[in-house]
Amino acid sequence: MKRINKIGHCLLAIALILLSINSVKAQQTTADSALLGRIAILEQQVADQKPGESHFMVAGLTTFGFVSSKTTFTAPGSMGQITRANSLGDADHYELSPMFLFRHGDNLLVEFEPSFDGTNIGVNWANISYFAAPGLVVHAGYFVVPFGIYSKKLAAGWIDKLAGDPAGLDLPGTDFGIGFSGGFPLGDMKWSYDVSLTNGLQLLPDGELQNAGIVDNNKGKMLSGRVSLLPFSNSSLEIGVSALHSNAGDAGSNFTSANVTMYGADINFVKTFSPFLVNIKGQYNKINVTPQTYTSPVDSSLFSYNNVTSSAFAQISVRPVGSDSFLKNFELAYRYSNYTTPAGSAWGQNFHENDFGLDYWLSWRTVLKFTYAQSRSLSTTSVTAGGTPGLTNINSLYLQFSVEF
Amino acid sequence: MKKIKTRTRGWIMIIGMIAVIALIFTSCAENEKIAAKSGAQLWAENCQRCHNTPSPSAFSHEQWKTVGLHMQTRAQLTDKERDKIIAFLQQ
Repeated sequence: MKRINKIGHCLLAIALILLSINSVKAQQTTADSALLGRIAILEQQVADQKPGESHFMVAGLTTFGFVSSKTTFTAPGSMGQITRANSLGDADHYELSPMFLFRHGDNLLVEFEPSFDGTNIGVNWANISYFAAPGLVVHAGYFVVPFGIYSKKLAAGWIDKLAGDPAGLDLPGTDFGIGFSGGFPLGDMKWSYDVSLTNGLQLLPDGELQNAGIVDNNKGKMLSGRVSLLPFSNSSLEIGVSALHSNAGDAGSNFTSANVTMYGADINFVKTFSPFLVNIKGQYNKINVTPQTYTSPVDSSLFSYNNVTSSAFAQISVRPVGSDSFLKNFELAYRYSNYTTPAGSAWGQNFHENDFGLDYWLSWRTVLKFTYAQSRSLSTTSVTAGGTPGLTNINSLYLQFSVEF
Repeated sequence: MKKIKTRTRGWIMIIGMIAVIALIFTSCAENEKIAAKSGAQLWAENCQRCHNTPSPSAFSHEQWKTVGLHMQTRAQLTDKERDKIIAFLQQ
């Protein structure tokens, strides 16, 4: 009887073990299928995330702020007249510019940057670039004409160390055309080029030049370019020269033969002298318009003047990047700029400006700027040309915030 | 006479530009020291020529590729510099 009981217990134990094994197997099968399901989902997610040939993104910048200014105008032989203004987000110091970048493969890039300046919506650039070969980028469309360093490289609010722009550097501007650019090593050094063929500038009836890209007023085209050399192996110094030639007169007008020649030179030096990062930048532009005869808007008499304009700026900024304290976020900046327009023209002036700035960097691309600007403009205009003689002094205080996104 | 002078000046500029482009095909050698530069070193040297050095975390892997092409058109980086800087920022 005891034996039968033992056999019974053994059979029961075997049955329980078999049942347990089946149960574990069933659980394992369930676990395996769950795992396979999860892997399939992850594989799909990875497939969804694969880069593909094309990529689209939005970057851009915004700048806004406050400016308080006092303008004193003194006409010859009279007392100065003072006007004061306080402005939030005015047209000169406000900007919202989203930049749309579309990359197709590794060789094609479309860039489009509309811009709202507080009054109007314009376009900063809309062009396509083809990376044709090492050192050769072909771009076509509407782009910043290569001339100097300020307009193309330093004008963005989150890059510029001071709130305003130096006067007289807005020419030639942005234009429709085709261009070529690239950079090459040269032993220890490096050099680059950036050339373009575009529609060109327009000479207005008073002899002033209108920015490129607004009207194509003649059959002639504008050839512009900049060549730069970086003589040190650490790229700390860049020296550039620029040149431009354009037909500028309206077709069929008295200015048909008018041509513009521009020359420029620029320098860019950035180096750390521990604990300070020293940043020096400068540019000089000279514009020559071939002699023309203009008609006075006052009495319709004919007159002429030497239509030569020059503009320049020199800037230095210092930031204690090597400091461990919050001081490393501060940057001191100073800029001197000069803008001399033709004496005897309607807009003749000798303009000087000093800008003093203290910036606080909230991040590498976010800055809060305090700038004090003091300018003096002595009119060299002609009353016959429709100008107003006098001396204008402007003192301005800016508080400006800028971010790249 | 002035017209001729202006035309001559224009031709000199055109010839100058062509000479510059011709240089492209004759001066593309770099020495070993330059060739050995890391992406981090090139990032530090080139970005700060115009603006503060960007944080690698600012953009995604794919975005850096696009931003790299955009910056090459602005700073006239060489192709090797662009590729090394992008690779560093993608890490």
